Amino acid sequence: MSIFIQKETKVLIQGITGSEGSFWTKHMIEMGTTVVAGVTPGKAGQMVEGVQVYNSVRDAVKEHDVDATMLFVPPKFTKDAVLEALDAGIKKIVTVADGIPLHETVEIRKKALEAGALVIGGNTSGVITPGEAMMGFFPYWIERVYKPGRIGVMTRSGSLTNEVTAMIVEAGYGVSTLIGIGGDPVPGTRFAEMLPYYEADPDTDAVVIIGELGGTMEEEVAEAMEAGIFTKPVVSFLGGRTAPKGKRMGHAGAIISGGKGSVEGKIEALEKAGGLVADRPSKVGLLLQQLLNS
Amino acid sequence: MKLFEYQAKDVFRENNIKIPQSYLIDSVESLEDGLKEIGVPCALKSQVLRGGRGKAGLIPLVKTNEEARSEVARLLASEHNVSKILVEEMISIEKELYLSITVDAKKATALVIACVEGGVDIETLAVDSPEKIMFEEVDIIAGIQPFQCKNIAYGLSKDKNIVSQLSKMIYNLYQVFDKYDAELVEINPVFITTEGNVIAGDGKLSIDDNSMYRQKKYEMTREYFDSDMEFEAALEGIPYIQFDGDISLMCAGAGLTTTVYDLINYADGSVANYLEFGGPNYRKAEEAMRLCLKNDSKVILIVTFGTIARADVMADGIVAAIKKLQPDRPIITCIRGTNEIEATKTLKAAGLECLYDTEDAVKRAVEISKASTSSNGGAR
Repeated sequence: MSIFIQKETKVLIQGITGSEGSFWTKHMIEMGTTVVAGVTPGKAGQMVEGVQVYNSVRDAVKEHDVDATMLFVPPKFTKDAVLEALDAGIKKIVTVADGIPLHETVEIRKKALEAGALVIGGNTSGVITPGEAMMGFFPYWIERVYKPGRIGVMTRSGSLTNEVTAMIVEAGYGVSTLIGIGGDPVPGTRFAEMLPYYEADPDTDAVVIIGELGGTMEEEVAEAMEAGIFTKPVVSFLGGRTAPKGKRMGHAGAIISGGKGSVEGKIEALEKAGGLVADRPSKVGLLLQQLLNS
Repeated sequence: MKLFEYQAKDVFRENNIKIPQSYLIDSVESLEDGLKEIGVPCALKSQVLRGGRGKAGLIPLVKTNEEARSEVARLLASEHNVSKILVEEMISIEKELYLSITVDAKKATALVIACVEGGVDIETLAVDSPEKIMFEEVDIIAGIQPFQCKNIAYGLSKDKNIVSQLSKMIYNLYQVFDKYDAELVEINPVFITTEGNVIAGDGKLSIDDNSMYRQKKYEMTREYFDSDMEFEAALEGIPYIQFDGDISLMCAGAGLTTTVYDLINYADGSVANYLEFGGPNYRKAEEAMRLCLKNDSKVILIVTFGTIARADVMADGIVAAIKKLQPDRPIITCIRGTNEIEATKTLKAAGLECLYDTEDAVKRAVEISKASTSSNGGAR
């Protein structure tokens, strides 16, 4: 099974004719993703990698069933593209744009919550179900990183995700679905909001969370565990344990304010809820073995 | 981008928020005009971006012109990077309040935060007595409504005149938050004067970096940065933080760089600089390496695991940078991700030490940094 995206998920691509859009469309299709149509204003009638291009999302959904949309749209235009997708009734949206204005990320999340839709990102690599399909850009061809398996992964980071996922694979596991929540201070969807999907997925045995200092998303995961909303094993890795206070290290969302958002506070909350926290990437696999074999 | 107090207060004035009378100076000479304009007693407020200015002695209150002159000379010569001072009238204060606006990431709203205690550290207060803090969620699309301003104002005062002034201040502060794409706008403290006026005693305005393309009013200049290096890196668009240890980091991705920083500290090593050589900067090997070489570090540690930031492109960039810059210290590489096999070939052909495990690379860099003070080529 896996969550969010499978082989049969019908994916639209907004911004398909751009250099990034067309390059990653090719990889998404090669990996096995079902790409049904693309959108670029003013480019209707063109084909990209055998995919028909439309002027608008409204036009595309008239001709095709669409389950999800992938945005390869610059940060300045991301809000409009998300609103366009929501307006057309699409409930799963992934945006990789790095640099969406803060106030617009708030608007995007608000509109998504109102529509009952999931917007993943921005500032992320996207979502991948190894061996099946992806929305975004992942080096899926590197087997030691993106091997299919039964561990769900959620992350706020890009290259660190490759690093940690490689350790999961090295420990003998693979990935069911990896969700890049993204590094923005206001991501469209938060860690805890994806947990019910992993809970219901018979093909996910445990979840690894790659967190960071700042914000309260890791604390919300601990709350969901305490409340019994999520009952499968959780292993976390958090960067920034030794980060000096007051310096903006890591992503923009990664500012420590008072007691909240500190790595120590997050570790305490997660451990109290029954999770294990690795102090370095190489420990993630060992902690998974500890939880899954007990 | 964090603005200085005087800039925040200029914005406040333009948006009908009352501020004390003040005069901006940048030298002992210009103080004379400031003294003519404002007179004594007055406050000399150093324009630096760090918090806790009062405790650090950066806001002296002076009673005479002589005292003002000697204090200004002291501040400008201090190690705190003071280049401008705001000479501000003394206000007779009845009461101090706290007021700020930021975003609530979970609820997806703007959030007004207010407190009947001002001049305090709000984050400490949030831990110690959270019941004293008021919150009002604002729909960021509709903007703040008059009733919301009144809700907060009534919570802060019982006096009709003060409530009316506070409501206006909250409304105007929200307009600043909106117009300036603020991640935070804060007045701490708000002064209620003995004459019954409501005035912004301090001003903080932090503009979202992702919105700078449409906030062109403020140019990035040296005075916003703690060091020349951080300024230079910012001009290149490279995330950079100065430390004073032995290992220069040149890593890809905020999360991975922060992790490598942790691993070095665990291994008892020390970091000379944090530098993100990834994302949009993966083609900037030369600029990144030049910054690292300006440090007194003993080794440069390059760790990446990129997708779009292709390993082969980074490797080519590193080899070209080495040819051009002739580094005087060893370089350890741990480059993985898209096209990593080609990358390794390139690096090995150039005689570089290639590792594939982040922790091995960290261990090696720490070893080198501790081994000797002389570096004559090292791993090259």
